[in-house]
Amino acid sequence: MELTGSHTLDAPVSTIWTMLMDTDTLARVVPGVTRLEKTAENEYLAIAEIKLGPVSGAFTGTLSLSDIRENEGYTLHVKQNSKIGNADATVSIALKPLSDAQTEISFDGNARLSGLLARTGQRVISGVATTLTKQFFANVENELAADPTTHS
Amino acid sequence: MQVNLTVNGKVRQADLEDRTLLVDFLRDNLRLTGTHVGCDTSSCGSCTVHVDGVAVKSCTLLAAQADGCTVTTIEGLAQFNANGTIGQLHPLQEGFKECHGLQCGFCTPGMIMTAADLLSRQRNPSEHDIREALEGNICRCTGYHNIVKAIQWAADHTPAPLLADHHVWTNEPTTEPAAV
Amino acid sequence: MSNKFIGQSIKRVEDKRFITGKGRYTDDIVLPGMLHAHFVRSPYAHARVVSIDMTEAKAMPGVIAIYTGDDVADINGVPCGWQVNFRNGETMREPKHPMLIPTGSTAKHAGDAVAIVIAETKAIATDAAESVMVEWDELPAVANPAEALKPGAPKVHEQFPDNTAFDWSLGNPIEEVDAAMAAAAHVTTLEFVNQRVVPNAMEPRAYIGAYDEMADKYTLYTSTQNPHLIRLLMCAFVLGIPEHKVRVVGPDVGGGFGSKIYHYTEEALVTWASKQIGQPVKWTSDRSEAFLLDAHGRDHVTKAEMGFDADGNVMGLRIKTVANMGAYLSTFAPAVPTYLHGTLLQGLYVTPKINIDMTCVFTHTVAVDAYRGAGRPEATYLLERLMDLAALEMGMDPAELRFKNFIPKFDGVNEPGYQTQVALQYDSGDYAPVLERGLEMLGYNDFRAAQQEAAKTNKLLGVGFSTYVEACGIAPSAVVGALGARAGLYESAQVRVQPTGKVSVFTGSHSHGQGHETTFVQVVADKLGIPMEDVELVHGDSDTVAFGMGTYGSRSLAVGGSAIMKSIDKVLEKGAKIAAHKLECAEGDLTYDEGKWTVKGTDKSIGFGDVALTAYVPHVYPAGLEPGLDFSSFYDPANFTYPFGCHIAVVEVDKETGKTTLKRMIAVDDVGNVINPMIVDGQIHGGLAQGIGQAMFEGTIYDENAQLTNGTYMDYCMPRADDLPLFETDRRTTPCPHNPLGVKGAGEAGAIGSTPAVVNAVIDALWSGGHQVKDILMPMTPERVWRAMNN
Repeated sequence: MELTGSHTLDAPVSTIWTMLMDTDTLARVVPGVTRLEKTAENEYLAIAEIKLGPVSGAFTGTLSLSDIRENEGYTLHVKQNSKIGNADATVSIALKPLSDAQTEISFDGNARLSGLLARTGQRVISGVATTLTKQFFANVENELAADPTTHS
Repeated sequence: MQVNLTVNGKVRQADLEDRTLLVDFLRDNLRLTGTHVGCDTSSCGSCTVHVDGVAVKSCTLLAAQADGCTVTTIEGLAQFNANGTIGQLHPLQEGFKECHGLQCGFCTPGMIMTAADLLSRQRNPSEHDIREALEGNICRCTGYHNIVKAIQWAADHTPAPLLADHHVWTNEPTTEPAAV
Repeated sequence: MSNKFIGQSIKRVEDKRFITGKGRYTDDIVLPGMLHAHFVRSPYAHARVVSIDMTEAKAMPGVIAIYTGDDVADINGVPCGWQVNFRNGETMREPKHPMLIPTGSTAKHAGDAVAIVIAETKAIATDAAESVMVEWDELPAVANPAEALKPGAPKVHEQFPDNTAFDWSLGNPIEEVDAAMAAAAHVTTLEFVNQRVVPNAMEPRAYIGAYDEMADKYTLYTSTQNPHLIRLLMCAFVLGIPEHKVRVVGPDVGGGFGSKIYHYTEEALVTWASKQIGQPVKWTSDRSEAFLLDAHGRDHVTKAEMGFDADGNVMGLRIKTVANMGAYLSTFAPAVPTYLHGTLLQGLYVTPKINIDMTCVFTHTVAVDAYRGAGRPEATYLLERLMDLAALEMGMDPAELRFKNFIPKFDGVNEPGYQTQVALQYDSGDYAPVLERGLEMLGYNDFRAAQQEAAKTNKLLGVGFSTYVEACGIAPSAVVGALGARAGLYESAQVRVQPTGKVSVFTGSHSHGQGHETTFVQVVADKLGIPMEDVELVHGDSDTVAFGMGTYGSRSLAVGGSAIMKSIDKVLEKGAKIAAHKLECAEGDLTYDEGKWTVKGTDKSIGFGDVALTAYVPHVYPAGLEPGLDFSSFYDPANFTYPFGCHIAVVEVDKETGKTTLKRMIAVDDVGNVINPMIVDGQIHGGLAQGIGQAMFEGTIYDENAQLTNGTYMDYCMPRADDLPLFETDRRTTPCPHNPLGVKGAGEAGAIGSTPAVVNAVIDALWSGGHQVKDILMPMTPERVWRAMNN
């Protein structure tokens, strides 16, 4: 499953970076994630629940960050196991300042699926990916809107 | 949870786990095993029954959702004698036999129930209409050729009033609830 | 003997129970105290089992037992029934397929089981299985057979680093074929994939194992095509339990198409578990498991070249194919790409030189085995694609090219059978008439005119031809034994005449849609001259039927029917002795007709029922003759049977979208004598739909990790009612010269001939529009056809 997308946010790059490095914010903006527990530096236990069309289930797994470049981006590695199959995603997230008040956030990666998840509903899974992407950006925007201090 | 429904003319009530599918209730609780399960994605139509006179894939419906409804399965389609033996087959049952509309027989109940729904809505369907109506039912044996013929046969050999009201082909509900 | 029923479209006896919902399939059966099983399976195509944690699952209420690989370490793997050694003599590589993958071992395809969970209800078993935590170490995997042969490809079995199960060749020496090809005026070359398809019988596999401690006897209810074969394989090779202590029942079975021939691990496990627990254990596959675990079909990657002289006569045929066997060798698997495929590659053409080179490889996928046609569809696809493409390339008419190359008529009686370059001797054949009739039904001349008109529009028209010969009724035991079969391939039958003259017929063939309860009864009633109501067919139960090899390879009537005929002969022979005694004449003075023995030239006669009663109440009886009228027979055929036919497809291709519509499907088949034309037509129809399905809709899709990504009916495109036209069928009849009924077999013909006809039709349509494409990958989706037109 390919995961790509980009979106322009009305905030400076440093604000977005701070958000993306904050565990609580991350837990709120990553679609489906209900809880993130730090287990080591840049490594987390992730509990996720996703219900979208044929894809629904509770996932537990790990989330780790690597290749961290301040204000530029990092690589997010998510490994989730569930009763309906396993997912293993590697996504590189990049931030690009468009101006002092605008930042383009983009990501590129893919998720490898196994088990029932792999053989059921591949036809609609790209739709699921698109929806998750939209949710992610919407969540980030909500975060920005909810916290007036983030506006420059 | 408590579920009450009328199946093939008999009032049935049962205490079921919430997640019980209608097809499992029919097969496991009522032992009406003519309704088959051929897939897990509501794609094959082997489990088609009538709920309140409309064809429904019983693997898509919780038994609880059919609470208070009238359900007809393949076992309830013929007319029965007082002693429970088959009096007269439904014209579609005759048609499937007459035209060799079945081979292994597994998809057949679903095919017949879907076709019964079509004929109750449309008196003289064209070949195209029949094929469209069967779009949700998979048969692996017949190539559909003789199924189409069987449905045409039934349409040609049935007096119009009988087809217009498919309930003619189901027995009236009894009043005594039978616990299962 | 009268022919009152043979040749008539008698309505099926078995239909009543199916149309009223009273069929009895394995999943419909409930035994007292029955438990339910669910398997814990590998989500990965290739992964090592690091650990299995059953703590949570075992604690769940209603869970009775969970078994893992360690518990069943003593049980052998499921066996392979055919051995094909390497060309250089090296023994076929035959990795064990364990019942359950133990900790430390690796799963070799997605769905390989690691544990069986047995619980009071199906829901509890499912919940508990999902709570079994398996830690996996995922390993690289390969699904494509050509990729599996490349250096550095992931290894399926460590001990076989080249991923090769065996290789095989057949035909003339390669130097002779090379020389013939070098001398050819034209060589048509085609590189193509015969893609992997899923049999998809509508009834998912289901098994119930039940052990009776007092009788020390196991019963297995199984949705199988061959109960006795399962008993033999399970007892002798897997569980090591005595055969007389096992009863295998194949009740109503909802289609097989090959996928229910094989002995699967789940059959043995529920049988074994029922003794461990002391209660019956049922397992029913869901559709998702069926996609993962039922043996698949086809999966060849081929390069084929056919050489012609300047007049269009075939000079030579050179074939190199890689065939996918999957991760383990299934029951019949090695025979499919070899003796059921290579031996058919002469088709019905005079071909001086042929060489076939097969490499059969392991991949991280479920086993590939016989699927409707089994090897013969692959052979026909190869030949018929080459014929139509060669005609286009040489500017010849595809029908003319075939007429020119057909093997001349031979009836196998006055003329000998036809010896091919590839081992087989065809029994009888008369090939031109089926194509002539097909062209007549098509209205060929008018079609070409319409095609030219259509080429000016957005909807191109195309016609595709396919003339095939296949081998059915598998086959003489001595021959298949010499070719590596580990079983004989005869059939058994018992005809038991009851004292009242009613007849019970026990056959080792198994009906799962073929209508044996009707056709076999038609034969018996006619041969005995009694009403059909007086005859009952019994099949599918190893306790009532003495023995059987089952139903596959279009063999039921040709082999099973012939066994019944042998028993009928014995009944009539003994009956004549009794009749002669009663009528006080010599046996030679009697004729048998219309159910009675008559003294020639008199009106003195005795009926079949009277003779039957006398046999069981032998008061006035020939001296020394045993009482009773009950005979068993085994029939081992002299040869395969060779049906043939002509399939023609007409398609319309939308130039804008690439969407193909199948407008007409014509099939003229010669399956020998026909007992029930209605049933034969039905068999042809179903085969056509499956063959068309492969051409237009079906095919597995594996991702780079060898995950099957279209393992549901939402994702795998099955042919549906609105995808197909009414079929146009006709028949020609060339009787089989070597079996008593003159029958050849009709179960697979439809699936064998149709696939290349449909693909050829699309190619023909594209050429008519000026797109000179050689191949379109199956299934021919609109996208693929559009790309073929738009490069």
